[in-house]
Amino acid sequence: MKPENPVVAVLSLVVGLLFLSPVLYSIWMSFQTADAFYAGRVTFTLDNYERAVGQFNFARYLLNSLIVSGLVTVLGITVATLAAFAFARFTFRGGDLLFGATVATLMIPSHISLIPNYLTLAKVGLLDTYAGLILPAISNGFAAFFLRQYIRGIPKALDEAAYMDGASPLTVLWRIIVPLSKPAIASMALYIFITEWNNYIWPLVAVGRQDLYTLQIGLARLYKINPGEGLVDWPLVMAASTITILPVLAGFLFVERHLVRGITMGAGK
Amino acid sequence: MSGIALRNIRKAYPGGPTVLHDVSMEFHPGEFIVIVGPSGCGKSTLLRLIAGLERADAGEIEIAGIRANDLAPQDRDIAMIFQNYALYPHMSVRENISFGLELRGMPKAQRNRRAEEVARMLQLEPYLERKPGALSGGQRQRVAMGRAMARNTSTFLMDEPLSNLDNALRVAMRTEIKDLHRQLGATIVYVTHDQTEALSLADRVAVMKDGHLQQFDRPEVIYDRPANRFVAGFLGVPPINFVAAEKLPGWQGMQGLTAGLRPDILSVHAQKPAGPALEARLVLSEMTGSDLLLHCDSAAGRLTAIAPRRAMSDPAAQLWISYDLDRALFFDNDSGERVDLARDLRSIRTAEE
Repeated sequence: MKPENPVVAVLSLVVGLLFLSPVLYSIWMSFQTADAFYAGRVTFTLDNYERAVGQFNFARYLLNSLIVSGLVTVLGITVATLAAFAFARFTFRGGDLLFGATVATLMIPSHISLIPNYLTLAKVGLLDTYAGLILPAISNGFAAFFLRQYIRGIPKALDEAAYMDGASPLTVLWRIIVPLSKPAIASMALYIFITEWNNYIWPLVAVGRQDLYTLQIGLARLYKINPGEGLVDWPLVMAASTITILPVLAGFLFVERHLVRGITMGAGK
Repeated sequence: MSGIALRNIRKAYPGGPTVLHDVSMEFHPGEFIVIVGPSGCGKSTLLRLIAGLERADAGEIEIAGIRANDLAPQDRDIAMIFQNYALYPHMSVRENISFGLELRGMPKAQRNRRAEEVARMLQLEPYLERKPGALSGGQRQRVAMGRAMARNTSTFLMDEPLSNLDNALRVAMRTEIKDLHRQLGATIVYVTHDQTEALSLADRVAVMKDGHLQQFDRPEVIYDRPANRFVAGFLGVPPINFVAAEKLPGWQGMQGLTAGLRPDILSVHAQKPAGPALEARLVLSEMTGSDLLLHCDSAAGRLTAIAPRRAMSDPAAQLWISYDLDRALFFDNDSGERVDLARDLRSIRTAEE
């Protein structure tokens, strides 16, 4: 990379710190005792982490979050890739309309579908189940749209060559399109994972049983643990928050190489 | 080996013009067919119809005696080489070549043996483990051929396979393709806009324009007796000269004809020769190696003649051009169709003498 203009470098640093500051502040806070924090003193303790992990089935919530986010990611990417392949490569009756509808879902705030989804799941008896947490999230219009655009950038002659070689459409998808779309698929997988990981409102609505709580719900419940008179134990909440960030961070590092390529795609050969 | 028959093929793209109008042709097993024409003439579409990558709106495609209109590409026993090769960028040369075999369930050891065999034929052995991105244009072209050859199909379709290569490589690959055809004995349908490739490779050439088949015959016939003015003008380097027949001295035939004079039937003289000749002014002389191309202005219009350089070391500005009317071609001004005048002309000639 070229050496940067120092003014740009300083500005970048400032902006970066601005973005990071809430995260850094909450991490710093997680190492304080509640008393010291409210008294304005600076201490250092790992006590909050111990309490966060020890209380309220923390391990269980973590497992639930991993199961739900993991399955939503796998199923969501599968559905989005299949849809994207169909939209990108096949002309069929109503195809444009269907694609338009898919894109239109991006304009609908997710909260609007909250009640219809709830009623539907209640009717089929899937409330308070993993399926109820997972199923509504696996159709992702944005991922389908993004992948369709990416697949359109892959020369169609590659598909045709594979058909001549004897491939079926699903073979073309699996052996040609998917390997060549890896950066885009990795980006979308991470995007879906993070979105689902941070999802709060749906698990709150769809699940009443404690053993199905995800991390975000468990985290919210930590607010209720007061050390004293109506005060929230912020250092405890921040310690728990910090733990919930870690899997996402690990996921990001895991797909970072692909992700960066996905974002800069089309920027050069 | 299998023949291919096309009967009254019609094809239009939705919302677009008709690209093929009632095209009918029959290719014999083992023939090398070249379909040639300017861009947009429908030649690539025709190839894609044979491959099964497009569907005809009307007409019948028959492969090896079986109606193939509704057969999927993979069921047609056809291999295709694409213009930009369409190699799978994430697979090695070996995987590219053997992908089709794998899809047809050939065991791995056998697949590898076949890939190596094909690579040996095409001198690709050192590159078997490389990805296409690490190959030169010529090597990629060979891999594309290897992929097509691996499956031992009876028919090969080639869509301008040499158009992305530089000139020297193109000439070399042309010879190789011809040689491969001899070795494999397969039917080859080859699409190009390059008339040199058409004339040098084909057993038979199909000339197309605007979705219509103009002529389908052996290269010699296409060159010597083109069906119409378009075919005459499209094939032949340097291109044929068209002049109004009436403007040729000595012309006593019918009105309304255009004469087509290929440069090699024109002779250039410093003095007025015996017999009919045109006086001309030299505009430009081009050196092409052993020959000179002489572009001249005459009363009949611009003419290009070809003359051996040794005989014409320093062409004068004023020249005489004579022509061999027996070898001239004549076209109807209205229809553009070629008119066979040879017999009439000969009698005119005898009368003169």
